[in-house]
Amino acid sequence: MGYLDYKEAPKRESRLKACIAYGGTLCGLAKKAGCGCMDDGERSFSQGSICLMLPGLAMINSLPDNVTLLHGAVGCGVCSHSQNANVRSGGFARTGSVKDALWLSTALNEADVISGGEAKLRRAIIKADRLYRSRTITVVTGCVPGIIGDDVESVVREIQPEIAARLILVHCEGFKTKIWATAYDAVYHGLGRSVLDDPPERPSLIENEQEQIRLDYLRGRTVNLFNVSSMGRGDELELTRLLNSLDLDVNIFPVFTKPEEMYKVKYAALSISTCPTHDDYFLKYLKEEHAIPYIIKHMPIGIENTNAWLRDVAKFFGKEDVGERIIQNEQRQLELALTEYRAFFKGKTVFVSAGEFRALATAYLLHELGFDIVGIRSFHHDEFANVEYEKLQSVSEHDFTVNIANVQSYEEANLLRKLKPDLFLGHWNGNSTPSKMGIATHVIYNTGINYIGYKGAYDLARRLYKQLKNPAFNKNISKYTKLPYRESWYGENPFKYIKGGEVDA
Amino acid sequence: MPDYIERPRYFCSLGGALSTLEALPDTIPILHCASGCAGSIAWGQNGGSGLQVGGYCGGLTVPSSNVGERDIVFGGTDRLYEQIKNTIEIMDGGLYVVITGCVTEIIGDDVRACVSEYRSQGVNIVSAATGGFKGNSYYGYDIVMSEIFRQYVKKGAEKKKNRVNILGVVPYMDSFWRGNLEGIKSLLALLGLEANTFFTAEDSLEDLQNAGSAELTVVVSDLYGIEAAQTLRQEHDIPYITATLPVGPSASAALLRSVARALSLDIDVEAIIEEQSRRYYKYLEPLIDCYNDLDLQKYAVIVADVNYAVSITRFLQDDLGWIPELVQFTDVLDEQRRTAITEKLADQNQGIIPKIVFDTNASEAVRYLNELYPKQGDDLYAKSFTPAFVIGSSLERDLAQKIGAPHLSVSYPVANRAVLNRGYTGFDGGLTLTEDLLSAAVAGR
Repeated sequence: MGYLDYKEAPKRESRLKACIAYGGTLCGLAKKAGCGCMDDGERSFSQGSICLMLPGLAMINSLPDNVTLLHGAVGCGVCSHSQNANVRSGGFARTGSVKDALWLSTALNEADVISGGEAKLRRAIIKADRLYRSRTITVVTGCVPGIIGDDVESVVREIQPEIAARLILVHCEGFKTKIWATAYDAVYHGLGRSVLDDPPERPSLIENEQEQIRLDYLRGRTVNLFNVSSMGRGDELELTRLLNSLDLDVNIFPVFTKPEEMYKVKYAALSISTCPTHDDYFLKYLKEEHAIPYIIKHMPIGIENTNAWLRDVAKFFGKEDVGERIIQNEQRQLELALTEYRAFFKGKTVFVSAGEFRALATAYLLHELGFDIVGIRSFHHDEFANVEYEKLQSVSEHDFTVNIANVQSYEEANLLRKLKPDLFLGHWNGNSTPSKMGIATHVIYNTGINYIGYKGAYDLARRLYKQLKNPAFNKNISKYTKLPYRESWYGENPFKYIKGGEVDA
Repeated sequence: MPDYIERPRYFCSLGGALSTLEALPDTIPILHCASGCAGSIAWGQNGGSGLQVGGYCGGLTVPSSNVGERDIVFGGTDRLYEQIKNTIEIMDGGLYVVITGCVTEIIGDDVRACVSEYRSQGVNIVSAATGGFKGNSYYGYDIVMSEIFRQYVKKGAEKKKNRVNILGVVPYMDSFWRGNLEGIKSLLALLGLEANTFFTAEDSLEDLQNAGSAELTVVVSDLYGIEAAQTLRQEHDIPYITATLPVGPSASAALLRSVARALSLDIDVEAIIEEQSRRYYKYLEPLIDCYNDLDLQKYAVIVADVNYAVSITRFLQDDLGWIPELVQFTDVLDEQRRTAITEKLADQNQGIIPKIVFDTNASEAVRYLNELYPKQGDDLYAKSFTPAFVIGSSLERDLAQKIGAPHLSVSYPVANRAVLNRGYTGFDGGLTLTEDLLSAAVAGR
């Protein structure tokens, strides 16, 4: 029995032993992770972060011709207002027309909490189906139905025959997991159970052997490229360009993929992940159920990482020589373009904070650009990233701070005061701490700009140059605003409030 | 209650309370809820509050107990005790406010008891039950302000002549909250009043603590802030009046009159209004030619929250001389409130009464418009909805595009504008709104 046979995806704490509390150094973490003795702890002081619903909705809201129906209190899902900007621009980049995401909320109130929300959900599904006539309706559950015990599975299963749209169910009860990367599993779980059916076959009177040969040939050279919601169209095009140059056709999945075309993911020669934090759950499913092998190893951010990512694909298809020629050619052009920036970046210190793989891959790129890495904060830790820590360890001249934290800006503020980096790269809504300290900042993902592949490396270099050339915005703000911490906090151990977890400082 | 709300244009009560606290000076919110609530609200502000997120302690810096499955089984109060103790140790603030989310309220954590223990130790700390299922963010503002007035504002303060409190503008839900409150402060200053606005750069916690010394509370909303004003009346013996958000000369004049009346001010209000109106129209004088030449008078659709739907409709009708045809309220309102609010729009000098609908599904505006202006094929003399203008949130861009009209976002979500000190209240606010409307109308010029 595979995971997809269960009602919902297991949380990553149990599936992958993922953790969110560590404070120490790169070497310290490598030692612990290497011997498999990472224990997760708690914090006796914590700050708000996000839950799995946010990254979950970032994927779901992008699906064309889908209505997202949030089953929860009215505030669950307001992140969609921010994600809508991506839906608009991402939709435009892919289809040439601008459309707002469409999400609804059952807005559970006090009466619903007492009497249950199932009936309301049922009515909402029926009305949404009649009014919007969308191809799919994705029901996303928040904390409230999880606590009051709504049997959402049954509602969805029972009502499906009355509904024209295909119903997808995604569990996002935020209290159930501390690891919001569980979101990716939850979404894949929902998609995998609902929308991978082949389109109805047109009966053909005569067996068309040629057509079958053609199809097999095409599928034999098609790869599934797994995108992530933090990746823009520019990044997709860069990876598509590289894969095309290996003479491969690319099927992009799942962000912005039309539900009626999702079945195609079952017919490819290979699945390629762009972020090992993101896809293992579904890649394993495709391998087990549809015999599609996969590569989940590198994130193609940074020159060496992109080389390695491309090399693995080339090797799979026995095209090592072509792959090497492409890499050499790409690298030669890129090196030339980067020359003027490298000199400028040399020796400048940088601190990186984001989702684990993104943070580590970006740190490697920054090292390649000539920066000196003084600290990394990863929003969680699991085994997939061990290899990335090793990569960094092998190229770093000195040890540096590593902090595993589901944001926790207070630890960050304390570290930044001590390390005083020249530059900080942080998550969406995660750059205000260094900004108020007058440190030059840059957002570590934004779907409107490029980060991935060779082109992404160059574009990022240009943007960092821009930030460092004139950091006046942050410098000025820092003179007149203050972070909300007591002065005494900066004198403390940054990991003081991690209890029972791993602290090496 | 509808079975669902389309793209809700508000957060939950926790979100409203948090946004309110983030806008107060030196205030540290403490969330007792699941870990994602803070982020969800930060993303909500990011996507709809005119590019404004957080404040002194906001966004992803707000302390939060981040309760999980274990706390739900065993109760979350131990975690809360620990969280408050350590918050006070690290976070530098003059006021700490514990607000609760769905999870901790459903499991029934005794937050009040926990907080009063810290208060008895001399900590300025307040608690408010703001579980998201209680209502939307506008209601969250009322809940948290009421609790602050109850638990933090000094009791028995001596009334200070000419001091008034302002309520009814909800931070982040109204992207223009700072500019709007400043506009109201300046407006009331014309009457020699000192307005306590709580949320502007000029306000301090001391002013908030002394809110009990005001003679009057002015609620500049037909809905939001009324419950908080009632709390001030109950706890601090301050009467209150309500008024439509004063956008432009007519509404500003009306507010000046009613405040002067309520305080029995011995002052020539009409002379002040006359002088301000003269100044206002002096600004419009050089606009006359272009306003006429470009035929800038429009039919209007307004899709907005109560504050903006009422105030903008009245401004367009009473001051600018446009014709509002359809007004859609996106708040969830009971019958009694619907009637009261409808009256605010019916009471017009020119006798123009727009079609008023109460519907949380804003995409339905097109259907309502089609009812007013049925499609008539290629009839040469078809009555078409032109020249038109759409005022609402950034989600009404779709409607504007469908009917080929210019558009301005004022009501949440305001995704496509940067807002800092801009405001639409007072006489000057009317000029600013005129600028923004007409600029949108001539953007392609």
